Amino acid sequence: MEQELRPDKSGYMLMNKPGYPRVSSWPHLIWLIFLMMLFITIVLWAVSFLAYAPLEEMAEWAKTPNPAKAPWYFIGLQELLVYFDPWIAGVMLPNQILIGLILIPYVDITPSEQGHYRWSNRRFAVAYFTFGIAFWATLIFVGQLLRGPSWQIYWPIIDYDISGHTWTREGVPLKQGGLKLASMSTGTGMALIIGFFTIGMILPFMVTKLFPKSNVVKALDKYLKELGYIKYFVVQSHVLMMGATVMKIILRLGFNIKYIIETPWFKI
Amino acid sequence: MAEHHTQKKTPAQKTFDLLSALLTDNPVYKSIFRTGYPSTLLKRMAVMRSSFYMHLFPTKVGEHGLKLRYSWCMGGITFFLFLLLSLTGILLMFYYVPEEHRAFHDMKDLRFMVPFGVVLRNMHRWAAHGMVLAVMLHMMRVFYTGSYKAPRQFNWVVGVLLLLFTLLLSFTGYLLPWDQLGFWAVTVGTNMASATPLLGYEGPFHELLGVQIDNDIRFAIIGGTRIGPNALVRAYVWHCVGIPLVATLLMVFHFWRIRKDGFSGPL
Ligand code: HEM
Repeated sequence: MEQELRPDKSGYMLMNKPGYPRVSSWPHLIWLIFLMMLFITIVLWAVSFLAYAPLEEMAEWAKTPNPAKAPWYFIGLQELLVYFDPWIAGVMLPNQILIGLILIPYVDITPSEQGHYRWSNRRFAVAYFTFGIAFWATLIFVGQLLRGPSWQIYWPIIDYDISGHTWTREGVPLKQGGLKLASMSTGTGMALIIGFFTIGMILPFMVTKLFPKSNVVKALDKYLKELGYIKYFVVQSHVLMMGATVMKIILRLGFNIKYIIETPWFKI
Repeated sequence: MAEHHTQKKTPAQKTFDLLSALLTDNPVYKSIFRTGYPSTLLKRMAVMRSSFYMHLFPTKVGEHGLKLRYSWCMGGITFFLFLLLSLTGILLMFYYVPEEHRAFHDMKDLRFMVPFGVVLRNMHRWAAHGMVLAVMLHMMRVFYTGSYKAPRQFNWVVGVLLLLFTLLLSFTGYLLPWDQLGFWAVTVGTNMASATPLLGYEGPFHELLGVQIDNDIRFAIIGGTRIGPNALVRAYVWHCVGIPLVATLLMVFHFWRIRKDGFSGPL
């Protein structure tokens, strides 16, 4: 049974069975590739004739621009610097993202759901991945388009002209980041983090035990059983890490909390 | 094809047939392209197998995989942008020297002196952004179609590495114009490395290994305590030689695995 579900040989695929609609690569696939290349070349040419690649003044160590922004694909990490120290935002989280991505195929438990955009049997996986992508896109959006001098929020139109590229308006001073931030006491912080991860780890099991067996709870129960403890631990650690990242952002924005834990060596 | 023999031909068609026969029915053409024009199913199979480039692809493909709304062609677009970047990149290397006092002026020359230099640089720049975007979209389509599942798990892993190397390619290129934009973006980016636990001079527990500003991981990456001429040469070498080499090897492997594992499809 297990063997049947696992398409370890591509021979399991419908596509390789006799009678499945297949066409010769020449000309169908080759034609498509040719058109794609033509299309991309034309678009790239058109863009390159119309829009100039940016070139600012010559690099100068003594003249730090404010703000100094990372390229857009890394700006999500820079945006996280508002909420975390660099060792988390710039080192731990990107590594966690890469490891998490690599692990996806190995914690998957619906091997047969492939080859189509049909998500009814993998709702959780799709929801979690989509949330991650949306989170990443939001951070890029905020960092790239809303952050101005001193990494403060500057709203287009309200704070500056979109047509110009400057945040300074006559008579309007630049925003200052003078927010008073507090840190939690070490005890509270430790309790909060340990509590969050412990409860987070056992919560799904508690839900299946304590709540009435509605359809959602039944589905959760089935999912947990199929996943097994090891995969569950791997998946849930990543879910909780992402959850913790979001929680810290909420604590910082909503309650002006700078650090949850402060030790002489590191701060979280 | 069959209708060629049944239908009556106009003089124009006859002339065309004659000309194409002249072109393809001779020893020189056949020494290059082993099969004649692939007009029959048999020849179409043969052309895919006997041509070096075509044999990257299977002789037959499932119809569903051809649909744009399935694959978005995104992996292919990523690869094609990589090819365009290699081409424009090599041309840019003719005009660019990664030297602190010269690099920026080479950018100006490209803009104002070199014929079509500005289009060359623009194409390289926009294609680079395009490739980063395309590789992210490609990853999303692979996820949403569940194409990373058995037997393709490992190719997904290779893909994640390709994603990383695509980002690094783009990032190392960002410094090369030696303007304020790239200089400070790369300063911000590489400063993060100094926060690495143990290995960065500002990271937690760095004292344990005796790590300081002039022997930490950031120092190793940029060849100095701040972005300077050494960092420029390093960025250049990684950007033009090191990373493209690794990325090419990974891509070759990626494509080989697609052929071996089979393109995804319904089970
Ligand atoms: C430089 C980067 C990359 C290039 C040039 C590339 C190229 C390609 C190409 C041409 C295909 C054939 C199908 C298609 O076009 O969709 C493909 C398939 C695939 N790619 Fe990539 N790819 C890259 C990065 C990635 C990444 C980041 C991932 C995932 C994390 C990935 C995972 C896969 C998988 C699993 C397949 C098989 C899909 C299937 O059978 O439907 N690739 N890739």
